[in-house]
Amino acid sequence: MEQTDIVCPFCGCLCDDLEASVEDGHITGLKNACAVSRSKFLNHGKHRVESAFIDNEPVSIEDSVQAAIDILSHAKRPLIYGLSSTECGAISKAIEIAEVTGGIVDNTASVCHGPTILALQQVGESKASLGDIMNRADLVVFWGANPTAAHLRHITRYSVMPKGMYVEGRKGRKVIAVDVRKTGTARFADKFVQVEPNSDYELLQTLRAIVRGEELEATEVAGIKMEDIKALAAEMAKAKYGVVFFGLGLTQSEGRHMNIDAAVGLVAELNRKTKFVLTPMRGHYNVAGANTVATWQTGYPYAIDFSKGYPRYNPGEFTAVDLMASGEVDAAIIIGSDPGATFPADAAKHLTKIPVITLEQKITPTTMLSKIVIPVATAGVETEGTAYRMDGIALRLSKIVDPPEGVYSDEHILDMILRGLKEAAQ
Amino acid sequence: MTKIEVILISGRTAKQGIGLEEGKSSDSYFDSVNHIMLSPDDVETLGIKEKDRVRVTTATGKVTVNWVTDKNLDPGLVFFPYGPWANQVYGSGTGSTGMPVMKGIAAIVEKGKGKVLTLEEVVNTLREDA
Repeated sequence: MEQTDIVCPFCGCLCDDLEASVEDGHITGLKNACAVSRSKFLNHGKHRVESAFIDNEPVSIEDSVQAAIDILSHAKRPLIYGLSSTECGAISKAIEIAEVTGGIVDNTASVCHGPTILALQQVGESKASLGDIMNRADLVVFWGANPTAAHLRHITRYSVMPKGMYVEGRKGRKVIAVDVRKTGTARFADKFVQVEPNSDYELLQTLRAIVRGEELEATEVAGIKMEDIKALAAEMAKAKYGVVFFGLGLTQSEGRHMNIDAAVGLVAELNRKTKFVLTPMRGHYNVAGANTVATWQTGYPYAIDFSKGYPRYNPGEFTAVDLMASGEVDAAIIIGSDPGATFPADAAKHLTKIPVITLEQKITPTTMLSKIVIPVATAGVETEGTAYRMDGIALRLSKIVDPPEGVYSDEHILDMILRGLKEAAQ
Repeated sequence: MTKIEVILISGRTAKQGIGLEEGKSSDSYFDSVNHIMLSPDDVETLGIKEKDRVRVTTATGKVTVNWVTDKNLDPGLVFFPYGPWANQVYGSGTGSTGMPVMKGIAAIVEKGKGKVLTLEEVVNTLREDA
């Protein structure tokens, strides 16, 4: 059987043109997918969590859910974390669990584009859909972003190669890469601007001043000669429609949200002369959905504390790395994420000191450190759901094959836990 | 023994993405994240050979890993794919933003002694009694 128009649940591109061949309940072929997507679809059955576990002993799903309810209902400050690699229905239930337990809910945005959100809340954003960019952009800037390693079809499907309504594909677009190293994207670009590490803020503010028409005394900024910065500013200003796609090169280096603040300032300045937009290169396929669902349910996108009975938002205080490093939380439930493999070691260590419940498809460092592991189905392969693309467009994920027998979706397990918590509270 | 001062940049690679989607307990994931990438000049300065290990030390941690040459890197710039090995050398300070710094970190690289820990071993270093 052939299935078409499948949305890929790997990265924030959510490519929606995949085609799969399915025989006897197995995916036997895949078209239009990138190498990572192929790995996800064709290996979804490998290295699975093969049962529910409590203290490494196999148990039934029901027993593992009951043990999770016991831990969460007795915790004083539970953390609900992850949510970027699952679908929106599960995210919604997880946020409700935080509310019922008086806990904290955070998603992986806090360690990827959290600083972007912080900046955009302060200074706003000039944004567009990837479709609009494909149809109109004649200047594409990748700043601290390397789609040739992290968003493998971004260049070919959305931003550079496709023929747009008003642009002639690759020939009609100039591509500039700004990075600290010569990435695959930098090698592909028409122009590579090499910025010194931790100096993006200075370069962005210098460009902003030049676009505004300020005269500067410096002869070199961020390791780049002033005449080259002026040439870059002129190139940006003369575009008919420019876009800055920015990545973790800006959010994970010194300056963090202030780098994004400066990027927004530059784009705002360019909009006095031409049309310019900026778009964060969101990593996990539904991290944008985690922010969206959290915002419509609580008013805030991440780092949300319910200990007072109502939602409070404070990145730096209610964000997972800070809570782990300070040892503040006394239990955690992890969904659609692997903090054991993604947090700095001295924050990840706290996972070994508290009871951790993890919903996972595969064996991960976090499942290895968890008291309770509950196997779940892979959203977008074994269950349906909704996810948000990096530009905020919602797309429907498909179910292509059945999950392993007796394995439920994240949403189903979270609903079981939520019902148990509500009963325990009565 | 030669030590070099470098700036450490972490990030994704396509191999890491392929490996993690196969499974983090797979050989493909292990091989994709347990090494650093060095410029040819830095390899020469360190005098390291193919089977040698390197030790990466920052203000907050140290780790022994494999290495590969990346001719696109400038001397003094080292790339470390995201993963449990790289996490050993990041600090958890977020400057009240929620985000630890994972790019642009000062580090020392030298020829390393000992072996590269397996995934299970590196996870076990996180345990309290480790």
